[in-house]
Amino acid sequence: MQKTNKEKTKFSRDDLVAGLMLTPAIVFLIVCSIYPFIWIFRYICYDYNGFTATFTGTRNITRMLSDKTFWNSVGHTFEYAAYKLIFIIPLSLLMAVLLNMRMKLANLFRGMYFMPTIISTSISGMIFAFIFATQNGIANSILQGMGIIDSPIKWLMSRDWVMVTVTIMAIWGGLGNYMLYFTTGMNGLSEDVYESAKIDGANGVQTFFRITLPMLAPVLKVVLMLAITSAFKDYEAIMVLSKGGPGNRSMVMFLYIYNLIFGSTDSTSQAQIGYGALLSIVAAVIVGAVTIIYNIVAKKLDDVV
Amino acid sequence: MKKKLISMMLTAAMVASLCACGGDNSASSNTDSGQSSGNASTANSDTQSGDGQQTQAPEGTTTIEVWTNDRHDLEYVESMIEQYNQSNSDGIFINLSVITEDYQNMLALAYNGGTAPDVVGANSLPLNTFADTGILIPLNDYIDADETFQTVNEPYEHAYEGLNLRNGNIYGVYSGMRSGVRVEYNKDVVEAAGYSEIPAKLEDYINMAKTITEQNGGSCYGIGFTSSSPFERLLEMSAQVSGIFYYDYVNGKYDFSGYKEILELGQRFISEDIAYPDQQAVDNMRALFAEGQFALWSNASQEASVFTDQIPVNGFEWGVAPVPSITGEIKGALQTTPSKSYGIVSSSKNKDQAWKVIQFFQSEEFIKGYLENGYCLPISTYMDGVIDKSKIGRLADFSMLEYESVYPQPPIINLTGDDYRIVLWNAVMDYVDIDDAIEDLNTRYNEALDADVASGATKRLVISDYDPLHPNDGTMTYLEE
Repeated sequence: MQKTNKEKTKFSRDDLVAGLMLTPAIVFLIVCSIYPFIWIFRYICYDYNGFTATFTGTRNITRMLSDKTFWNSVGHTFEYAAYKLIFIIPLSLLMAVLLNMRMKLANLFRGMYFMPTIISTSISGMIFAFIFATQNGIANSILQGMGIIDSPIKWLMSRDWVMVTVTIMAIWGGLGNYMLYFTTGMNGLSEDVYESAKIDGANGVQTFFRITLPMLAPVLKVVLMLAITSAFKDYEAIMVLSKGGPGNRSMVMFLYIYNLIFGSTDSTSQAQIGYGALLSIVAAVIVGAVTIIYNIVAKKLDDVV
Repeated sequence: MKKKLISMMLTAAMVASLCACGGDNSASSNTDSGQSSGNASTANSDTQSGDGQQTQAPEGTTTIEVWTNDRHDLEYVESMIEQYNQSNSDGIFINLSVITEDYQNMLALAYNGGTAPDVVGANSLPLNTFADTGILIPLNDYIDADETFQTVNEPYEHAYEGLNLRNGNIYGVYSGMRSGVRVEYNKDVVEAAGYSEIPAKLEDYINMAKTITEQNGGSCYGIGFTSSSPFERLLEMSAQVSGIFYYDYVNGKYDFSGYKEILELGQRFISEDIAYPDQQAVDNMRALFAEGQFALWSNASQEASVFTDQIPVNGFEWGVAPVPSITGEIKGALQTTPSKSYGIVSSSKNKDQAWKVIQFFQSEEFIKGYLENGYCLPISTYMDGVIDKSKIGRLADFSMLEYESVYPQPPIINLTGDDYRIVLWNAVMDYVDIDDAIEDLNTRYNEALDADVASGATKRLVISDYDPLHPNDGTMTYLEE
């Protein structure tokens, strides 16, 4: 009986300590995340320019339903996310596998590939603007020098090419990050399994598909989920590189919302915080829905496998 | 036991860090109120000047806090303030703070938090948010009582509806201006193409640009456009001087139908490969112009200092010319941008002293030095006659044209979708059909205007006797339906 009481007391103290340790995080979460999220609901039925709010009832909702620019930006977001994910996940996995092969200077390469992640998006946007300039651009010079193209490609000025350009920049900027996730995941894999496979005569490709990939599945699942959500929320690089143009071809939904809430230099309209708040909720629902669908599909695949 | 101890230590560290955060906050808010509160006007408050140096208000003086978002003229303004602080007999100490990022929001936050300054640089502050909400006060009484101020600044001649004037109330008086858009051109290349001057007709202007591109075989293009508001920097201004504007003042509605011809002409720059193939940020394009990569560029009077100091043009002579119109005739006013106005914040407890500071900023001596340093052009006829124009350098090339004016501010609306400048440029680039673009803009702008007028968020501006050559001279009426 005494022992039980002691355990109870001990549990209570641990609980207190845990509670104390969690308090700062909870306070910050409420102040910095939950309260602002609730705050935006306040204005979805208003025209609010940061100074005066005018109640407009359901007008923002009807505007949203007929806002072609917004719905086109949703389509562009899906397109951009698909291009980015198709390339960045296999490439970062491949890089992680290659750099995990105990080659010389692996850490140096790892550092180099990770470096774009720590470079400011605005700086990398400016660098890529020079690389992808039509006239005197580095990319066109190289391609023309190699005889791959005859005339310069309008990377940022053509509606056909701008998505390719922003995707290349997104891959460059995010590759190192995902590579690091995979490297960390691979470090946790048992060496014994690889040694057994080696004894059984498995080659590199077989080892990758039969051992590395299945054992890495839990990490891959998490990395994919992170990649999906971040791809849907990307807008900074596009804002610097193409401003959503040409002709809105690279306008993604969060860039459109940003322009509405903070105003853009090209705009003669005022800041529209109320309408922007409504669109940001719709965008959050879209990203949330995509993540839920991914989780359901991933779970079903788990069950099948 | 050891784990418990570590846990307790970590918890204590977290609590301590939280307390430290709180402590820091209160310290910084104390400093803030000392620095920027218009109410904290007592002497001996530590203040932060524009260049970041600590300055101290002398005993017994009243500190007037001044906020501005202009950094380019800081050297001159600070030196004048230093002299004023040492020599004025009104016991006023000016403390200048320069806020270049997010100026409007910072000001609104300070006002709501009770730490707003006394005087603010007001030329970029929209009246619908800063005057209609009571943040700025009308200056009419102060202006009327000061004849010298009226002579130097001509406040009633340069009162512009929706910009610094609302319902007869003036919220700031302009003491300078930026010119309307001009064509800046590479004289050597233009002359080599067989032109002695810039054509006044837009079609001829495009033909000249085409000749330059064709003659130079890719080493120099006829014209360059930036990615930052490209429509505004030439074609919109050509439309203005052709008598075309996006707001129909007579009927109080938006109307983009007049732009069709100018858009069709503008398309030639792209479809005939006349323009430089990239549209980059403004500074990049300025650098390319300075390098002789294209011959025609268009922007306002800020280019005078840009092409002499910031990105100097050394390899060729550059000229300045008016923007072309559709027919070559001037049928409408060219938009200029008035600048350097100051307002008094309603929360100031020292409004009379704040006005004295504005009197100093807009005195003949202050403005003369300011203008002769080439920071902007004079707006008043009086100051235009006072300054020594030989001192303003290339800015003299941007002197006010007789058809330059300021358009009354069309109603500010909550627009759904893209702004007209983006849509019309998309039409020039042939991303959208011209007729579709015009119809789309007419629909969206007027739907937004009708809805905003109905909700009371804005009012419909009507000028029944509107004259495109003198847009600010008509009888203005605000309708609530």
